[in-house]
Amino acid sequence: MALLHGLERVNRLLFVLAAWACLIMAVLGFAIVIARYGFSVGSIAAQELVMYLHAFVLLCAAATTLACDGHVRVDIFYSRWPSQRRALVNLAGSLLLLMPVMLFILVISWEYVAQAWARHETSAEAGGLAWVYLLKSLILLFAVQMLLQGVLQAMRAWTEWRLQSEQGG
Amino acid sequence: MMAIAMFIAVCVVLLLGYPVALTLAGVALWFALFGTTLGLIDASELLAFPSRLFGIMSNQTLVAVPLFVLMGVVLEKAKLAEDLLDAMAALAGRLRGGLGVSVVLVGALLAASTGIVGATVVTMGLLSLPTMLKRGYSPAVASGTIAAAGTLGQIIPPSIVLVLLGDVLSSAYQQAQLAQGIFSLQTVSVGDLFVGALIPGVVLVSAYIVYIMVLAALKPETMPAPPADECPRGSELWLQLARGMAPPLMLIVAVLGSIMLGYATPTEAAAVGACGALLLAALRGQLNRAALQSAGEQCAKITSMVFLIFIGASLFSMVFNAYGGDEHVHDMLTALPGGAFGAMICVMVLMFLLGFILDFIEITFVVVPIVGPVLLQLGLDPVWLGVMMAINLQTSFLTPPFGFALFYLRGVAPPELTTPQLYRGVVPFIAIQVGMLILLALWPALATWLPSVVY
Repeated sequence: MALLHGLERVNRLLFVLAAWACLIMAVLGFAIVIARYGFSVGSIAAQELVMYLHAFVLLCAAATTLACDGHVRVDIFYSRWPSQRRALVNLAGSLLLLMPVMLFILVISWEYVAQAWARHETSAEAGGLAWVYLLKSLILLFAVQMLLQGVLQAMRAWTEWRLQSEQGG
Repeated sequence: MMAIAMFIAVCVVLLLGYPVALTLAGVALWFALFGTTLGLIDASELLAFPSRLFGIMSNQTLVAVPLFVLMGVVLEKAKLAEDLLDAMAALAGRLRGGLGVSVVLVGALLAASTGIVGATVVTMGLLSLPTMLKRGYSPAVASGTIAAAGTLGQIIPPSIVLVLLGDVLSSAYQQAQLAQGIFSLQTVSVGDLFVGALIPGVVLVSAYIVYIMVLAALKPETMPAPPADECPRGSELWLQLARGMAPPLMLIVAVLGSIMLGYATPTEAAAVGACGALLLAALRGQLNRAALQSAGEQCAKITSMVFLIFIGASLFSMVFNAYGGDEHVHDMLTALPGGAFGAMICVMVLMFLLGFILDFIEITFVVVPIVGPVLLQLGLDPVWLGVMMAINLQTSFLTPPFGFALFYLRGVAPPELTTPQLYRGVVPFIAIQVGMLILLALWPALATWLPSVVY
């Protein structure tokens, strides 16, 4: 339990890093524009760095976004349901949708990422960054983060459901 | 058959309210498991999923998404929208309907940088509904204007949904040409779509404004002019304009202008826009470490939300196609009477109906990759198609009783605003939207002319 909460803090930390990555992306992107149009200097490496940051944000912020209910729902009915039924939706969703999907991504991407590591894969472009294997590893990190968060969300939904049914019954 | 069952199953499960991205992926996964167990589909097709994922991660065009989101978040947090609205209302001064016109313009300029209908309508509602009601605007007119203005920003560049739609359409266009055996590929870019959406967007905004002005002239009691002494004049007015209106206008013009003149790609322009917004916030003394971090967190949240949908929708469409869903859709659409016209009508109606439960982002990722290649193979222009889809969805969000925009506006409106008033207020705007769709259908050049001149 303590371990899970510790790992949730890691998720949270990665989320804060992703927040700063957004800002760095903007500044770096702006610098690239100035370098190109002001001084006719282009850097593939800098462009790829923006792309790396982008990939980091979109994958590693997902778990904490889930924890603060930031992923859109179709809430026509959901928003009107009592919290007991909502908890049930979240419990079932975590167990039957989220966790299988993330396990699937983890398993199916393992070989894909391992190959990138074995080849020490670098950018296909001349002057690009040499860390494509690290970039691809973000997929595994994402799946693990989401799985952990999924377990926690399921436990929270379960507690909520128990609490509500005791109050109701 | 299974493909259609899968589509229906996903719609049903979505209504339960679990996050859309995970529902799309989860249901698809169960269908894939079922199909491989029974030997209906070949599991090896799913082995391509990691490289699809990597394609999403390394897509240069989509880097524009977090940057535009950041620009929108910073502008919102710095309360620039409020000042813009105040400045516009001051400029419109004692003009009847001036405040209504201002709301439309602010909506068009700033509202939908995030591309989430609910969020924009809520922001616009909180921002302008109390003021409009206080000024004595009729609740129907006020709420109709806000709902319409709140969805308007979606189709006016720079907006996130146009970036997403542009990216999805560009791969659909390639697919369509390859399927037709054309190998000297023509491309369509996000920039094309931005430029193409500009004239239809301006026409829509003008039509809204004309409607408000006409209504103000015919039924002055629905939108009274503010008392004379509340209007700033002379230097006070100019100061307010310089402070509230000039900065965001300059930012929007810089971003759009650099794209239109071909100086910058949308991604580059987005970076400039985001930094510009940060600079504006800094000049107003609103940029400390906490504000920066909270803007970044908001941006990270929205970005991961958008892309998780993309990831979920990719898995969905892989399994859908493994079941032969793409061929079904192709056969169905090409078998319709009326050729491209019939197929287009069918898709538009389907999207309109889906717009009642799904947001723009989901429809872009789920529906457009499936129907896009078919429609483009029938010879439709990709920019025109994108603009039609965008305006169609925007209309769907406004249409009672299920329109998204109405739900969310209802949520932030004071209790004296009744639901029938809201519906009555929005009907004229729906008529304008439908009129725009008909105009575009009759004169596709409204969308296609400008990109052909600019590029």
